[in-house]
Amino acid sequence: MTTSPSSPAVPLDDDSAGAVVDAMVPLSGIPMAPEWRETVIASVKATAAAARLVLDFPLDDTVEPAPVFRA
Amino acid sequence: MTNQETAVGIAAAVAAGRLTASATIEAALARIAAVDPGVNAFTDVTAERARARAAALDAERAAGKPPGPLAGVPFAVKNLFDVAGLPTRAGSKINRTRAPAARDGALIRRLEAAGAILVGALNMGEYAYDFTGENAHDGPSRNPHDRGRMTGGSSGGSGAAVAAGLVPLTLGSDTNGSIRVPSAFCGTFGLKPTFGRLSRAGSFPFVASFDHLGPLARSVADLSFAYDAMQGEDPDDPWQAPRPVEPVTAALAQGTSGLRIAVAGGYFARGGEPDCFAAVRLAAEAVAATRSIEIPEAARARAAAFVITASEAAGLHLDRLRERPGDYDPAVRDRLIAGTTIPAAWVHRAQRFRSWYRARVLALFDEVDVILAPCTPCRALTIGQATMELDGVTVPARPNIGIFTQPISFIGLPVVAVPVRVGGGLPLAVQVIAAPWREDLALRVAGAIEAAGVGAAPVAG
Repeated sequence: MTTSPSSPAVPLDDDSAGAVVDAMVPLSGIPMAPEWRETVIASVKATAAAARLVLDFPLDDTVEPAPVFRA
Repeated sequence: MTNQETAVGIAAAVAAGRLTASATIEAALARIAAVDPGVNAFTDVTAERARARAAALDAERAAGKPPGPLAGVPFAVKNLFDVAGLPTRAGSKINRTRAPAARDGALIRRLEAAGAILVGALNMGEYAYDFTGENAHDGPSRNPHDRGRMTGGSSGGSGAAVAAGLVPLTLGSDTNGSIRVPSAFCGTFGLKPTFGRLSRAGSFPFVASFDHLGPLARSVADLSFAYDAMQGEDPDDPWQAPRPVEPVTAALAQGTSGLRIAVAGGYFARGGEPDCFAAVRLAAEAVAATRSIEIPEAARARAAAFVITASEAAGLHLDRLRERPGDYDPAVRDRLIAGTTIPAAWVHRAQRFRSWYRARVLALFDEVDVILAPCTPCRALTIGQATMELDGVTVPARPNIGIFTQPISFIGLPVVAVPVRVGGGLPLAVQVIAAPWREDLALRVAGAIEAAGVGAAPVAG
């Protein structure tokens, strides 16, 4: 599609970011100490905010990813 | 010899027989011993190998062997470069338990083949995920112009060692700005070549999509000599582009003749302290650049670089995050852990946006040859400073130091950071940006700004 998304990415609040961290970090087998959680959540929110800028930008389906693999 | 000598000046003196390599190395080692305790640029001093190499070079010279273009030039490298006999720590505690490197990184070997002599490894932000030059394990590298201030990072020691006059040449890495930010804060020249130009073999990675290696020095000629010595195909680096060696040093004398130079407007003309833009104006006046050009969607480019960086770095560090998370610098660890939660679709989208953005920016080079932009939005911050004010808004310091560098390295454009003084304060720098593979044009314009007396990198007082 080439038009702007009709359903833009929504900001991530603390509760949702906490849920993401609590669900995803154990999936990677990372032993996260409780005292790290707050700053990890802040970083997840910062990344999500950056990602919204990217996700909400329309790109034609023909735009290829930048890295090119050659066998 | 003094700490004011440039690499080119030292090499010329050694070639002419006015100076021995051994004398240059002893002088450099003495400066490091005297000054570095207050600057904390070095994490390792390789005195024994440097003395042996210098003696061998002097013996070769005495036997009539022609000296290399960097004969007798002492240099040092960010400690993510492999140095034979040292574990490649990359600013970390964890890597210190690695086996010592079996041989030097590719660029060290190339500089030494040109006659330069390695004298040590340099402090850096942990695993290069840093714009400050602070390090939880080795202590912060300190800005030689004001030791209470940051060097910028992550190649903090590389900027500090040059600015303090310890060595005339260092190597750093630049993923999102890590050569250009220390160049701005410490007032040195720095070159981030085109993505894929110089071999990354024998260096500890950070973000495969954006990692670049390059030199820092106190003159454009020194950057150029070092850059020319490091070019060339290396089968050990699968990311390197198939480019011929394209020497730049001879082209410097052409100056700005025939070049179309513009100042980046829009995103690159706001969001920083006024002096950052004043530095760009001074540089533009020096090369008679009057036109302005808009780099489209730069904020989005920075955002996409942010997402890809966080994801690729997290993927690289996953094993260590599982095994030794408590041994990281907390400021790095928590961002890496957060990076493991990023949906793959976001990264894919960011890499597709990168293609879109590259095409739009490359089209600008149909109209201009070189673009000038600020390097950082501020002068060197105080060590430990967590926030700063940009356009009246308080923002976190760490991520925002790189707002002007990230959109450029995101698509691998060659950039020379040119140090400029505005109003007698601490240094700032201007990015001199060219199209891919046109390092020659960026260096020619940087050289013209230097020749006009606007760009300069004096040793810190």
